Amino acid sequence: MSVSDGRESYEGAPQLPDELRALGRALDARHGGGGEAGGSESMVERVLAQILAEQTPVPVQEAGPSGIRARLRTVRRWMRMRRRALVAALCGLLTVLVLTPPVRAAVFDWFGFGGVEVRYDPSAVPSAGAEVPGCGRSVTLAQARERAGFEPLVPDALGVPDAVTVTGEPQGRFLVSLCWREDGHTVRVDEYPARLDPGFVKTVREPPEWLSLGGTASPDGVQDPALWFARPHLLSFWLVDADGDRHTREERTAGPTLLWTHAVGGVPGGDLTFRLEGMGSKGRAVEIAKSLDRDE
Amino acid sequence: MKTREGGRIVDEAAVIARVRAGEPEAYAELVRAHTGIALRAAAALGAGADAEDVVQQAFVKAYGALGRFRDGAAFRPWLLSIVANETRNTVRTAARQRTLADREAAFAEAEPLIPESADPAVATLETERRAALLSALEQLSEEHRLVVTYRYLLDMDEPDTAQALGWPRGTVKSRLNRALKKLGRLLPDFRPREGGDERE
Repeated sequence: MSVSDGRESYEGAPQLPDELRALGRALDARHGGGGEAGGSESMVERVLAQILAEQTPVPVQEAGPSGIRARLRTVRRWMRMRRRALVAALCGLLTVLVLTPPVRAAVFDWFGFGGVEVRYDPSAVPSAGAEVPGCGRSVTLAQARERAGFEPLVPDALGVPDAVTVTGEPQGRFLVSLCWREDGHTVRVDEYPARLDPGFVKTVREPPEWLSLGGTASPDGVQDPALWFARPHLLSFWLVDADGDRHTREERTAGPTLLWTHAVGGVPGGDLTFRLEGMGSKGRAVEIAKSLDRDE
Repeated sequence: MKTREGGRIVDEAAVIARVRAGEPEAYAELVRAHTGIALRAAAALGAGADAEDVVQQAFVKAYGALGRFRDGAAFRPWLLSIVANETRNTVRTAARQRTLADREAAFAEAEPLIPESADPAVATLETERRAALLSALEQLSEEHRLVVTYRYLLDMDEPDTAQALGWPRGTVKSRLNRALKKLGRLLPDFRPREGGDERE
């Protein structure tokens, strides 16, 4: 094919853009019938006629950018503006997710049978050198039983308590405390009927340890669980004054504590919750808890 | 290079504002300014005899969608992407994808209208050349054919091409390069004899 005459400027690919543009213009020649302007005018008429005939609504500018992409833009802008807050919130969320499962389980379980709520708070700093409070003026076990409305159980391993007190709690319930003096410090057991609303709130900096007392299996087959708080923690509890109805929330630092429940035949609702404080050895604390069975 | 439509000075933003303000007649100015290129796009994308219907539908749809038109954007690439959509739909539903032969026939028919080919010999040559170009275009991949069509047949700059195709600028550039190289290889007859880079 002879392409040389009058076509010397062809240099292959470099010439292609102009050729392609010419090809595009050649396409125009096929349309418009009586010329370009006429084509445009007839198109104007056709389009406007259709718009009016179909009563196409007047396009109203949508507020701000629209469509999915625009919405993404908006979200991205929002994220940019709030990145620091978002990061902080997500970190907080992750902290909660990472750290709370065992504690949440504890809260749930103790709500179910113990009346003790465990809260996680890394900033809760217990004061140093706190001592286990004594029981104060003692009553006899029989008096305690009368006042509290349930038979206080005494762990066999600790022997006869040196002191027994009964403390009023909200909603007419009572807490029985047993105290012993051991090697110059106090060992204390608080016991009360297990119920849903927590009488104690333990605020801990690290999750407590789940233990199994391994004694009698509960009806659902779970070995008696217990919670061991190895570290001192903040303990909140109710106090009822002499009138019996006004109470305040008190807070103190509690040392190593074992929490568990024990089924008691004579108590409506079945269980007593025990908290043993002042026993530094986990093994000994578990022994004391188990000794309730021997006591029965 | 100025296209015929490009010669018309239309303050698109002002016109669009008038249309949105409830003056449909103002839309006539946009239709007038872009009918030429819209028809060319429909033809280049294969609308064939349906090109005018396709463009009419595209203008009506564009009118209805004008509320979503982003202020400050270029109207033409936006319109042409609607035209491309309409063309695809029409071609698909009618199952009338133009065959290569149809297009060549259409071009041969149109040839006498091209002013610079008054000489019948030159006209024949151009017809042959264009048939070869079209044939080469047909052999390109869809993406390559599209980018060549928008950038050259519709004579849009790279930003507008990118907007009409919805591709990043860099993608337009690189695909355009590869498409041109392929076209060059597909047009051996028109290569200068001394430029033997067949293996490219």
